[in-house]
Amino acid sequence: MKVKEKKVDIVTILQILSVIALLAFMEYSVTSGKISKVFLASPSGIFKDLIKTVKEGILFEHLGITLKEVLLGYVIGGAVGVTVGLLWTLFKPLEKYMNVFCSAIMAVPKTAILPLLILWFGIGFKSKVFLIFLSSVFQILYNTVTGTKQCPNEYLKVARVFELNKIETVFKVLVPAALPSMFNGFRMAAATAMTTVVFAEMQSAKAGLGFLLAESQQLLNTPRIFLVIVIVTVISVLLVKLVALTEYTFTHRWIKK
Amino acid sequence: MPAIKIESIDKIYDDPDEAGEVKALSDVNLDIEEGEFVCIVGPSGCGKSTLLEIVAGLLKESSGTVYIGDKKVTGPSREIGVVFQNAALFPWRSVRKNILFGLENTKVTKEEKEKRLDYYLDLMGLKGFENKYPAQLSGGMRQRAGIARTLIAEPKVILMDEPFSAVDHLTRCTLQEELINIRQKEKKTFFFVTHDINEAVYLADRVIVLTPRPGRILSEYRINVGFPRSRTDAALSRYAADIIADISRGKEASDEEYII
Repeated sequence: MKVKEKKVDIVTILQILSVIALLAFMEYSVTSGKISKVFLASPSGIFKDLIKTVKEGILFEHLGITLKEVLLGYVIGGAVGVTVGLLWTLFKPLEKYMNVFCSAIMAVPKTAILPLLILWFGIGFKSKVFLIFLSSVFQILYNTVTGTKQCPNEYLKVARVFELNKIETVFKVLVPAALPSMFNGFRMAAATAMTTVVFAEMQSAKAGLGFLLAESQQLLNTPRIFLVIVIVTVISVLLVKLVALTEYTFTHRWIKK
Repeated sequence: MPAIKIESIDKIYDDPDEAGEVKALSDVNLDIEEGEFVCIVGPSGCGKSTLLEIVAGLLKESSGTVYIGDKKVTGPSREIGVVFQNAALFPWRSVRKNILFGLENTKVTKEEKEKRLDYYLDLMGLKGFENKYPAQLSGGMRQRAGIARTLIAEPKVILMDEPFSAVDHLTRCTLQEELINIRQKEKKTFFFVTHDINEAVYLADRVIVLTPRPGRILSEYRINVGFPRSRTDAALSRYAADIIADISRGKEASDEEYII
């Protein structure tokens, strides 16, 4: 047992050392001029830019806009996805009718629709919200539907034995049974949301982290490119963690892990 | 008036695999008296679970009628309690809330609900487990909670579909003892489906033997042994031996039918 713990410790130490070595390499090669600062940034330079962008208010301005776009699109996508999913469960003909259209739209790579969305909604806030909505709604919709379909038949028999009506059966049996699958959809949508919004903002926008990224590239401000990449990554991880935490609070008591 | 009256029930399934129809039950007639404990046994695939689902109103018969008391069964109802094979508890509800599900949407008052809950938790030996979730319970405990959910609704008849088949042997024996006790206390009518012949003769007042598909009543045995019964009772063993002989005879007969 002890030997095992020691092994893990050595691996961890090696991992930390590798990261330190990488950072030290970046710092030395850039400050000494061995690698052009156009190609790489020093950790100290990235940190200085962080302080600067925070002081000037640039960072929070763009961060705020990106977060608003992502959250609004995601929440609307979630609400519509779950609602439509439950309507399909309640009215089978609706699923029969809508399924082919939803599958077709889902198959379109969402970023390919961006040019159209920009024509329709402009290069600002609305087109990004709509894009995030499109990229999340189908994942959540189909995971909701799959979840309700996976509900064990015996649970539905119990609902019938105790004379639940259709609506009660949906909310008291199908929704809880579908919860793990629904959260699966929410997690997948959260994981792709940041990628989508950053891409859209880089293409055409007036603000947002993606815009900041594209602008930094044009100005050859490499430390800022690194800074934004780090921030975008952190937000993306936090979003997924937030969904996982919500799922945990809802289901940890009854799901055996 | 019998508590359950099964009148010339046929059940035909559409079976796309076997090109057409499969007859699961053929002309089943059975009267079960108030307070009687009847076990249905038969080889697997004989339609005994199908018969239970028809009596429960969960499945539509192809022809014939089932009466509970004087009422025709047209669908599931609270008067017909069903205990499922794997308890079918909702994993997202605690034991307490699973049991109370049996009283959801009823006009039963809150105090009465609590009173009944307390009584059935006690009766089923679930005290101290009321806040646990099904995943935290053993198979036996889960089935106890499943039975409590059925009993709390106070149905007129209780249908049980191989309720103890998923638990280990020792637990099964304990659950059988408990069921006998419950039956003595609650004075309900029981319709119990099982493939375990020893279980059937140990629990039942009457054992009904079905033939292989299509299920027909092959024979019936009134178990004239008083409670409490001993598992090693010679009379019970004789009944069990006779039933096993019947079932194998039934199989041969149906095999012959297939040969012709």
